Amino acid sequence: MILEEEAERDRPAPRLDFGWEQAVAPVAPAPKPRRWSGLGRLAAGAGVLILGLSALESFNFVAAQFERGAALGLLTLGVVVAGFGLILSAGWAELRGLLALRSVDRARAAFARGDLEAARAEAVRWAGGVEEAASLQPALREARSVEELRALLLAGPLRTLEARAATLGRNAAVQSFAVTAISPSPALDALIFAWRGVRLLRQVAALHGVRPGIAATLALMRRTLFDAATVAATDIAVDAAARALLTNPLMQKFAGEAAAGAVAARRMLRLSRAAAEACRPVPPG
Amino acid sequence: MASLLDPFGLLRDLAAGTEQIGRALIGQERVRLAVTGLTRAGKTVFLTSLVANLLAAGRGSRTLPALEQAAGGRLRAVRLVPAGVESVPRFDVHAHLEALARDPPAWPDRTEDLSTLELTLELDRQGMFGSLLGTRTVTLELLDYPGEWLLDLPMLDQDYAAWSRETLARLRAPERLPATREFLAFADALPEDAPAEEALARRGHALYREALRGCRDRLGFRFLQPGRVLNPGPRGEAPLLWFFPLPRPGGTGLAGLLARRHAAYVAEQRERFFEPFFRRFHRQAVLVDVLGALHAGEAAFADTAEALGAIAASLRQGTGLLERLLGLGTTRTAFVATKADHVPARQREALTALLGHLVQAPQASAAVAGAVTAVHALAAIRCTEEDVVSLEGRPVGAVRGVLLKEGRSAKVYPGEVPMRPPEPGFWQHAFFEMPAFQPPRLDPAGGSGVPHLGLDALLAWLIGDLL
Repeated sequence: MILEEEAERDRPAPRLDFGWEQAVAPVAPAPKPRRWSGLGRLAAGAGVLILGLSALESFNFVAAQFERGAALGLLTLGVVVAGFGLILSAGWAELRGLLALRSVDRARAAFARGDLEAARAEAVRWAGGVEEAASLQPALREARSVEELRALLLAGPLRTLEARAATLGRNAAVQSFAVTAISPSPALDALIFAWRGVRLLRQVAALHGVRPGIAATLALMRRTLFDAATVAATDIAVDAAARALLTNPLMQKFAGEAAAGAVAARRMLRLSRAAAEACRPVPPG
Repeated sequence: MASLLDPFGLLRDLAAGTEQIGRALIGQERVRLAVTGLTRAGKTVFLTSLVANLLAAGRGSRTLPALEQAAGGRLRAVRLVPAGVESVPRFDVHAHLEALARDPPAWPDRTEDLSTLELTLELDRQGMFGSLLGTRTVTLELLDYPGEWLLDLPMLDQDYAAWSRETLARLRAPERLPATREFLAFADALPEDAPAEEALARRGHALYREALRGCRDRLGFRFLQPGRVLNPGPRGEAPLLWFFPLPRPGGTGLAGLLARRHAAYVAEQRERFFEPFFRRFHRQAVLVDVLGALHAGEAAFADTAEALGAIAASLRQGTGLLERLLGLGTTRTAFVATKADHVPARQREALTALLGHLVQAPQASAAVAGAVTAVHALAAIRCTEEDVVSLEGRPVGAVRGVLLKEGRSAKVYPGEVPMRPPEPGFWQHAFFEMPAFQPPRLDPAGGSGVPHLGLDALLAWLIGDLL
């Protein structure tokens, strides 16, 4: 039985509106209250004491120097300003490195959400800081969809950067292979490998416009470590297989060393790929 | 038994089974979701809503709360798999959404061809060490096709004589006679040794086609074969469609010609439709327009049940023996009453219960094949809201929507939906025919999905365990 509504009879009715967009709008998860850990408070307290007290002490010292003589005061002030300036600039560089990593996260989140405006803004900003991508900025501004943005970035600068990261990885791999073959002790191997790995990480990050300081390098390492850790099991298996296959003691020794070197080289290649993946403004897949 | 006699089929099953297990191990599963349904059951709208709502859920919208809950909040993104070099057309979800959002809106036309689409669901891994391995993906393969073609599946195991006998028996049912009388008179008048004259074959086919169309469009019947006679698809009519059932199918002249065409048709449908798309799937949603069947009358209602039973039996036979042994075939089958927004909320339980009775035979078939079954009621796109009307002085539940043709708002009382197959007395009073409603206001880009009823619960049941 159809009962038309009297008031609506003479004119078309508007479409039903369930307010669906508002009802299903994504809700940001409640921000977790940030609590400082005991260790964090300890480090912050020590930092405040060291920096604060040394600043106060320096201020007093400069004032005392001025009392002794204007020239001496000026000279001391110059030394203090230069010293603190260098410390602050190092802090600023650290902060910028961390902020660059955050902006990579923001861009990836915008791509994952399909938020065109945010993704475009982040992509344009990222392209501004990377030489290979600078010429792409007008095309990025004109992109009509997130897929188009993703395709532009993947086809152009990210492909070039990936190739360069791979070259860096290969160089590091050759070096670590050579070092592992000639180094006298396994402990030295590990040290050189770690140093070369960190250097590679920073090189790849700089390639992607993220110039990491110590804190950002640590954050990057944490990200790439998980990925790199998954290959560790394979490395052990390859090593064991190489050793088990050859029963001749001499061959075994040689093959074992070669396998260790190959594993180290492969780790470098893997690390360069993982680092490049972590620095890209576009989510994987 | 077919698999035992077909060593190549067994090898293909083995390869597919190995691939499936391998993919599950590395966290890149592929799941083929077969959306089956008779014509006008709402497959295209269902797929449009499913894709739009899953994509929106991947962007963080809460369009499918039950599915999100089943996924434990691990769903990170949903993407359309980019087109490759497929020869099958791509299901155009954006065109369908735009047509629905346009003013005046348009529901999708009758589906004329196959189309496919794949969606990748990206999920966080479970467990303590899950985060070490990165995300995993589940790729959903979807297929849209003309519902009429589905009824060719029961033909695959029949020869021409058996098919003729069964089809003519159905056409002679008194309820179908208004549409089939002319064809039956022609077929009965043909002698057994009628010559293989093209004019006779064409005339018989034209009459048969008209009879099928009359049964479908005027009388609401669904069990009509062959499907491509009703919906020939983009390639149009071909000579292999020019056959029809004969009361005396044993002759060599015309009967021989028709039998050859029947065999060629069955072989082509098997090769082009059944083998590539319905031979192997993992989850199944069987859509049924229960209200439409109820409206069409007692015979059409029974006909719908018979058609669903025949299709389910064919699909079960199609599942490979190896898959059945290893439990890799269809593991979940949902029977779904569509257009549930056409009745008020209070009556949706009755709708589900009625569907449960209607699909008893297919449910049994699915259970034998090792699938778990469930019955759902949903509206892929919700077009009405709850209301109350006064009927003979007492308030009764109704729905309110905007009529598609007139564009005016109307309250509709659809009558009482019975909870079990109706008694003969029910059919004395014709069930009310539901009008078509306009879809609600939609975003043409589908950014926030589309309003639905119960789609999330269905998906949570169908694929929730994979997430």
